Amino acid sequence: MWKSLTKSDNTEIVIALAGQPNCGKSTIFNAVAGFKVNTGNFSGTTVSYAETQVYIGGRTVRLIDLPGTYSISAIDVAERVARDYLLSGQVDVIINVVDASLLSRSLELTLQLMEMNVPMVIALNMIDDAQKKGMEIDIKALTSLTGLEAYPLIAVQGSGVHELFDSALRVSENGFRRVPPVYDRDVEECIARIEARYPSLLRERLKVDTRFVIIRLLEMDEEFERIVAEVDREFLEYVIENRRSLAEVHDWPESGVFASHRHALVLDLFEQVVSVKSRSGMGLSEKIDRFIINPVGGLAATVGVFFLMFAVSFWFGNLIAGLVEAPLESLGVFLMSHTSGYTAMLVSGVYDGFTAGVGIVLPYLVPLLVILSLLEDTGLLPRIAFMADGLLHRFGLHGKSVVPIIMGYGCNVPAIMAARNLEYERDRIITMLMVPFIACSARTVIILALAGKYLGAGYTTLIYLGNIAIALGVSSVLSRLSEDMSPGIIMDVPPLRKPYLHVVMRKVWIRIQEFLLFAWPVIAISSIALAVFSYVGIDEVINRVLSPITTFILDLPSELGITLFLGIFRKELTLIMLNSALNTTDVSTVLSSAQLLVLVVFTVLYIPCVATISTLWKEGGWKVALLSIALNTTIALAVAGSLAFLL
Amino acid sequence: MTLLELKEGDTAVISRVSGGKGISARMAGLGLHAGKKIRVVRAAPFRGPLLIEDISSGARAMIGRGIASHVEILDEKR
Ligand SMILES: Nc1nc2c(ncn2[C@@H]2O[C@H](COP(=O)(O)OP(=O)(O)OP(=O)(O)O)[C@@H](O)[C@H]2O)c(=O)[nH]1
Ligand SMILES: [Mg+2]
Repeated sequence: MWKSLTKSDNTEIVIALAGQPNCGKSTIFNAVAGFKVNTGNFSGTTVSYAETQVYIGGRTVRLIDLPGTYSISAIDVAERVARDYLLSGQVDVIINVVDASLLSRSLELTLQLMEMNVPMVIALNMIDDAQKKGMEIDIKALTSLTGLEAYPLIAVQGSGVHELFDSALRVSENGFRRVPPVYDRDVEECIARIEARYPSLLRERLKVDTRFVIIRLLEMDEEFERIVAEVDREFLEYVIENRRSLAEVHDWPESGVFASHRHALVLDLFEQVVSVKSRSGMGLSEKIDRFIINPVGGLAATVGVFFLMFAVSFWFGNLIAGLVEAPLESLGVFLMSHTSGYTAMLVSGVYDGFTAGVGIVLPYLVPLLVILSLLEDTGLLPRIAFMADGLLHRFGLHGKSVVPIIMGYGCNVPAIMAARNLEYERDRIITMLMVPFIACSARTVIILALAGKYLGAGYTTLIYLGNIAIALGVSSVLSRLSEDMSPGIIMDVPPLRKPYLHVVMRKVWIRIQEFLLFAWPVIAISSIALAVFSYVGIDEVINRVLSPITTFILDLPSELGITLFLGIFRKELTLIMLNSALNTTDVSTVLSSAQLLVLVVFTVLYIPCVATISTLWKEGGWKVALLSIALNTTIALAVAGSLAFLL
Repeated sequence: MTLLELKEGDTAVISRVSGGKGISARMAGLGLHAGKKIRVVRAAPFRGPLLIEDISSGARAMIGRGIASHVEILDEKR
């Protein structure tokens, strides 16, 4: 059967990258669009869809990067995003990305996508890994058996991407040859029986292929069942009747009988397409992996990575901050001596913002981002999850929360979104409430620049350990409050992969760009605002309002009220505004060591920043957002307050 | 017999995945269907998950003990 999809030339073609998690969809997206979305060697890097407009072969293409999904029956929130997009009827061509080295598993989704009857091409990505496994894929056979053009790719090196998109455009113009998967005779007869009774009303209501809908119903897809129930109850009952008898005949549970038939097709297809030659011996990455998945090796690797992350950031940050200090200071002196009045106020605000970015934030931020990116790209995250799962169980969580928690050390916003990979609502909400306690890069800058510099490595380590203890305590209490039980972890463990320098650099650059474009202006504006505030005396008001907290509970100078207030917008601001609020160039002359400790601890724990709050709201609703604010603020006051009282 | 009873290095064939639609769907997503031959590569410390290898593809996944107790196997001890 041929399906023609000719469109006039000026319409935009929507091409969606769909596939199982971690097969390289985002890498392909980036290869075409320029580096725009995050990639990483673990399942669930992408949790919301991204789109971009590109011009290919004279055509305007809207390219969509979807979260990975193991099957159309999406289980977690991220998978549902992919499913909803695919079912929305907007997609002109699907590029089904598969990890060629895991072809048999990947074909399960491929067959489901084929059932949708949307033009499609196959991207056989990671062909390098497949070759290492000794797999030989007969692409011609794959095409003739599925009717789909297929192309080998090594997306991370950019190879094969052109041919793939040429083919996708060709398919969008010329249509494609539909070869729907054909099941056993009794299954096909069952489908035919149901098709004969398919209500026309349903055909109007659902924009997707009839056969696809029937198969979804045979797979007990609740969403489709609901829609069909609304339109024609009797028809649904007829389907269920057929489904039951199919399950009885084959002696399978009703929910799995269809999938088992598809699985048989996949095995058959796989065998006709793939031949496995002898695989090469154990490579370096496998040897490293053997070491890491040992209890001792794993613990050493985890602790080592964390130590490295903070030690390198501290060392490098101090080095650069020290180097740029003198030139920045002379620039300041020069500016002050050449301006006066209002201009002086403005100039000093801009200057403070600039200095803060170059002299304080970036030096600590860059190394931290590099190491976090290495963690993502090598595939260490799932391995840390494996090692930590047992321990996290004692605190009511499990290993899958490791990904959001560690991402939280970079920025809490994507970390909270990463909780979309958790299958159970209970786990997801506990993780979302726990993440704001994790010291993100902004707070790490504060810890390193204040505690690291003035209190020493011992206190800094204690702050981090105490921070983790508090986060775990929170999750422990929350999990006790919830009645549900989590069944635990099921998670893919991809092979360790060598990180590519160009990928790491681009990933770090995206984050730096975010800082430059969004954070820096906020910092500069706040600096100016602070200058204006103190000029007209508003800072006094804020300081006085907050003084019960600052002076009474925390035993800090009331001038810090305004800096803590600004910290709600960007956590870095608390640090950056410190000098000007205290009117000094060296805070250790104004604050005692105990006060510094209290300040750092309070800043790390108190109210999540505005961006984090709004993400919590979007992902979990206003209750979760409010609860998070209350939790963080109470615990910050309790912990920092006790410290102030005791020291 | 369930997956939970295997030791590191043991191989077995999955015979049935019980414990609800979500669990069997996740297992199937990772290619762990009935009939699949698997090997226990490692058991994580502190009663953590089992690292399972699908012998035919070499793909690995971790499965928590709670879920492993729902995976029935045909023993094939070495
Ligand atoms: N060896 C190899 N690695 C690749 C290839 N393409 C991508 N990768 C790596 O595979 C990992 C996963 O890539 P992503 O692009 O994040 O995968 P994804 O499909 O978007 O993953 P999710 O968003 O989690 O569904 C990254 O570490 C990539 O660098 C390839 O052709 N060969
Ligand atoms: Mg992705």
